[in-house]
Amino acid sequence: MNAPQSMARRMGRRFLQHRLAVASLLTLLLLALLSLGAPLLEDLLGLDGQTTNLFQRNQPPSLEHPLGTDEIGRDLLARLLQGGRVSLAVAVVAALASAVIGTMIGVIAGYYGGRFDALLMRFTDGVISLPLLPLLIVLAAIDLSKLGLPPSVTQSEDVSLYRIILIISLVGWTTVARLVRAETLTLKQREFVRAAVAQGATAGRIMRVHILPNAVSPIIVATTLSVGNIILFESVLSFLGLGIQPPVASWGNMLTNAQELIWSAPQLAVWPGLLIFVTVIAFNFLGDGLQDALDPRAVD
Amino acid sequence: MFRYTAERIFQSLLVLLALSFAVYGLIGLMPGDPIDLMIQGDPNLSQADAKRLKAIHGLDRPLVERYGAWLFNAVQGDFGYSRNHSQPALDVISDRIINTGLLLGLSLVLSLAIAIPVGIYAALHPYSKTDYAVNLACFAGISVPPFWLALLFIILFAVVLGWLPAGGMATVGDGGFLDRVEHLVLPVVTLTIASVGDFTRFMRASMLQTLRQDFIRTARAKGLSMTRVVTGHALRNALLPLVTIIALSFGRLFSGALITETMFAWQGMGKMIYDAILGNDYNLALIGLMFATALTLIGNFLADLGYVWLDPRVSLSDRERTV
Amino acid sequence: MVRITKILMAAALLIFATTATAKDTLTIGISQFPRNFNPNIESMLAKSYILAMARRPFVVYDADWKLRCMLCTELPDLKKGTAKIVTANDGEKGLEVTYTIRPDAVWGDGVPVTTKDVMFTWKVGRDKRSGFSNIEPYKRVAKIDVHNDKKFTVHVSKFTCDYRTRYSIGVLPAHIEAKNFADPAQYRIKSAYETDTTNPGLWYGPYRVTEVASGSHIVLEPNPTWWGKKPAFKKVIVKAIEKTSALSANLLSGDIDYIAGEVGLTVDEALAFNLRTRENFVTQYKSGLIYEHIDLNLDNPILKDRRVRRALIHGIDRAGISTQLFRGHQPISHGQTNPLDTVYDKKVPKYRYNPPKARELLAAAGWSELRKGIRYNAKGERLQLDLMTTAGNKSRELVQQVLQSQWRSVGIDIRIRNEPARVFFGETVSRRKFPHMAMYAWISAPESVPRTTLHSTMIPSADNGWSGQNYPGFANKAMDKALDDAEVVCDEEPNKAVWRDLQRIYAEELPAIPLYFRANPFIMPKWLKGVVPTGHQFATTLWIEDWYVGK
Repeated sequence: MNAPQSMARRMGRRFLQHRLAVASLLTLLLLALLSLGAPLLEDLLGLDGQTTNLFQRNQPPSLEHPLGTDEIGRDLLARLLQGGRVSLAVAVVAALASAVIGTMIGVIAGYYGGRFDALLMRFTDGVISLPLLPLLIVLAAIDLSKLGLPPSVTQSEDVSLYRIILIISLVGWTTVARLVRAETLTLKQREFVRAAVAQGATAGRIMRVHILPNAVSPIIVATTLSVGNIILFESVLSFLGLGIQPPVASWGNMLTNAQELIWSAPQLAVWPGLLIFVTVIAFNFLGDGLQDALDPRAVD
Repeated sequence: MFRYTAERIFQSLLVLLALSFAVYGLIGLMPGDPIDLMIQGDPNLSQADAKRLKAIHGLDRPLVERYGAWLFNAVQGDFGYSRNHSQPALDVISDRIINTGLLLGLSLVLSLAIAIPVGIYAALHPYSKTDYAVNLACFAGISVPPFWLALLFIILFAVVLGWLPAGGMATVGDGGFLDRVEHLVLPVVTLTIASVGDFTRFMRASMLQTLRQDFIRTARAKGLSMTRVVTGHALRNALLPLVTIIALSFGRLFSGALITETMFAWQGMGKMIYDAILGNDYNLALIGLMFATALTLIGNFLADLGYVWLDPRVSLSDRERTV
Repeated sequence: MVRITKILMAAALLIFATTATAKDTLTIGISQFPRNFNPNIESMLAKSYILAMARRPFVVYDADWKLRCMLCTELPDLKKGTAKIVTANDGEKGLEVTYTIRPDAVWGDGVPVTTKDVMFTWKVGRDKRSGFSNIEPYKRVAKIDVHNDKKFTVHVSKFTCDYRTRYSIGVLPAHIEAKNFADPAQYRIKSAYETDTTNPGLWYGPYRVTEVASGSHIVLEPNPTWWGKKPAFKKVIVKAIEKTSALSANLLSGDIDYIAGEVGLTVDEALAFNLRTRENFVTQYKSGLIYEHIDLNLDNPILKDRRVRRALIHGIDRAGISTQLFRGHQPISHGQTNPLDTVYDKKVPKYRYNPPKARELLAAAGWSELRKGIRYNAKGERLQLDLMTTAGNKSRELVQQVLQSQWRSVGIDIRIRNEPARVFFGETVSRRKFPHMAMYAWISAPESVPRTTLHSTMIPSADNGWSGQNYPGFANKAMDKALDDAEVVCDEEPNKAVWRDLQRIYAEELPAIPLYFRANPFIMPKWLKGVVPTGHQFATTLWIEDWYVGK
């Protein structure tokens, strides 16, 4: 038990050395906390991100509205908190879903190998080589009810949210799949896996108990990095009019909506833009730091 | 080698065929068509008009039948007529390919011209202040919403400073070399900022890995200077995976071009495909997507050929962006 | 460094050069590029805007909403005998309308515009394969008599009051297009308007198209054969920039001079843009015939109750939205008839923002129980309504969110559910699939009878092949009669009486909630004079020869 503990400690120490990554982690924790606590904070500060007030449009910051109000008089801070909740949740869920899909495909391809592997990897290459954005545009505009989904889903206010998560997980798994496959291929040759095979453990058990836990670091790194990318991608989809739809706020649609207001109320664009930038960059640094820390070949 | 090539070409054609069918089907899943849209907003048009127009545009036939007809003509080199441009689809696309090629080519060259030296420098001074600064700059470039960057550039350089045009391909009635260059600056820089970060980080990682290898240590031990080692031995090895990554990223470059082209009113492929899909211009959407995919497949193929030639131990270790 | 300075200097020179010559070149920014150029295939704003500089219809409404001849010499008139009501054998009232083409009207290549062109256009229009979007006028024409090169009489099977404008067709040049019509099914592809757009023989306006860069811009230059007033600009460039944020930036950077009101920014975008830049530009807002409203699905049990419909309209502060969001530039509407229209009735019933009244009406309709601020009826059903509109239309989305908030305060739970335009119009609205409310706009012509949107025979259903545009499903005998009469009772006073009925029924029954008439913002440089917004579908460019550079 001593060895893994000291390894974890070493990893922790290496991570802490990456100061930008640590700062990023703290920033992200703060943002996540604020977003999660949005309803509580709104109550505490007496802010309202829902009720419009036509006589309080584009107000500058004040005691009542710490960051001012948006173009239809809603509190900007409250909107940003709600938007953060949505943007972060979408990104995290979509990244996790892609990681799960990618891990399954990767571990299966790597473990069974041969033709099966060749087929899966060709498929993965195929998905990677597709001109994704245009295809996503098609996916984003598809009429869900034509696919036989129940009205309770297609007629929900949050349908754009589910749709984005689904689209991203459908195409975002390739990186993880490749990484996990590569890892599985090497792990398969290791002593402890061979021993397990010799003892007659089932394939499922070997993959679950022996391979996955040891392939976890590249998955963590790739997933962390993709959370940032998804937040950015959500804003791009919003720009194209295919993102999360109002009245649900997201940083992406807030930024897109603020474009026209850049002459009269630039603050409406500055905040969501800044938050996207900071969050994405923080996820990138975090991923970078994790990569350095978790890489067993890395030197102290 | 010949068999391998033939097999790959066959595979690629299969992929293209599958893609064309998938795209046709997906567009078919999008509800409504341009005729329906035409009807709305004009109370003078009746549903009878809609029916008549749909028949004229062939929209009344079942999707599979339409696809069959399209495929039959496409095989013979007739890619149909773009409804939204009122021109043959092939004519529409040929201009756009050049425009996008120019934009993407220049930004690629610029990205590499920055990424390679900066990446090498960072790899030679790992964990130095410069290395951190480079890393920060790379991540900053990757993390800005591209449309936002484009808008900020237009405001700063076109509106406030007035140095560069806000968009378009050339001044109408001018179109001289210098004029074209001016119109290229902002779109190329925007695209470059979005892509240079990944390239630089990849170059750095690849160089670091190369420098750890034995032959480099041997070369150093023989007393060669670092400059000689890098330019003489390491560079070539470190560049190869970068070339692979570029070959693989062709399809994505097209996607990236969409935002830039929209913001700068640049008449390129990305925006054309986007408009064609949303405007239900099947013929144009298909040929555009197929072209972009074909280019990626060719890129993949070349990269794979490279694999066969090169050290099989060279692996794609760095991350790829999700979308 | 030296090279960069040189480039910058060159750039500066270039900018200087363009401003120096700006007086004879006008660069107009629009937000969409036309899909085609043939005047009769598909009507779209960007196309009519551009074509109006290079072609003129027979009859138009001018900026004062008066009818004017452009290609003809005088308006057909029942009193003057240039229009005659004839009764056919079966007793059906028909019509004969006589037009005379201006004697000096010539195509850009010097060939006169004659009745040959009219006959050719009629032939193309009647052919189902030619792909004209609106063939109604061609179908109704039974026969055309040609008196000479310039004069012709149209025989129509049905008489309607709008006879002066209805048959004002867009003539095509027979001497160029006849050969392209050899195969009618190929006409829309082979038409010289698409294949040879810069051919001078296609145009007969003050300008003709001299360059087309698909998706990017169109250049127009003066047409030497134009018979009217000489236009002031040596060159008009129309640039299409779709992203409105980029469009306004282009205006500020000087890359374009003027943003067209017809195909440019929305009022809220213009207002947002204008705050800081007022001194260089003048913005003229012209509200007109674009009627923004919310269709109510009258088959829905909740909305069937007229009290609920009235409560809905009392519950929203349309005046507040108009003054606050649009600075009053988009006047609220009290029905689908525009106050600028001659048939408008000033005494039409109006609804004011009155939340207590709304609550009272809702309670009377059985929605009396309040739980957490939302109303329920005796059966325990929640008063929840879906409000749908086109996704990505920012102006509508803003209004929608304000409405949601206001309706919530009277106890109505509003669920916002938006769809891309193609889904919304292609499926949801046209097949009446919206459960409660659908927000969108109609564009109409002056004095046009809203038959397709209000007549009970125009309710789309599977049985009639989804024809008609009466999406609320409004069936009202009195309204049907008013609509029928409005088309054939033409004398001024009786006609106005019919229109009064029509507007009153609309206001009382509320098949839709009127919101406002959309306005077009014309953002012009201070030096551009003579642009007179019309407020209807006839574009300002029909009078481009009156535009000039002022002090």
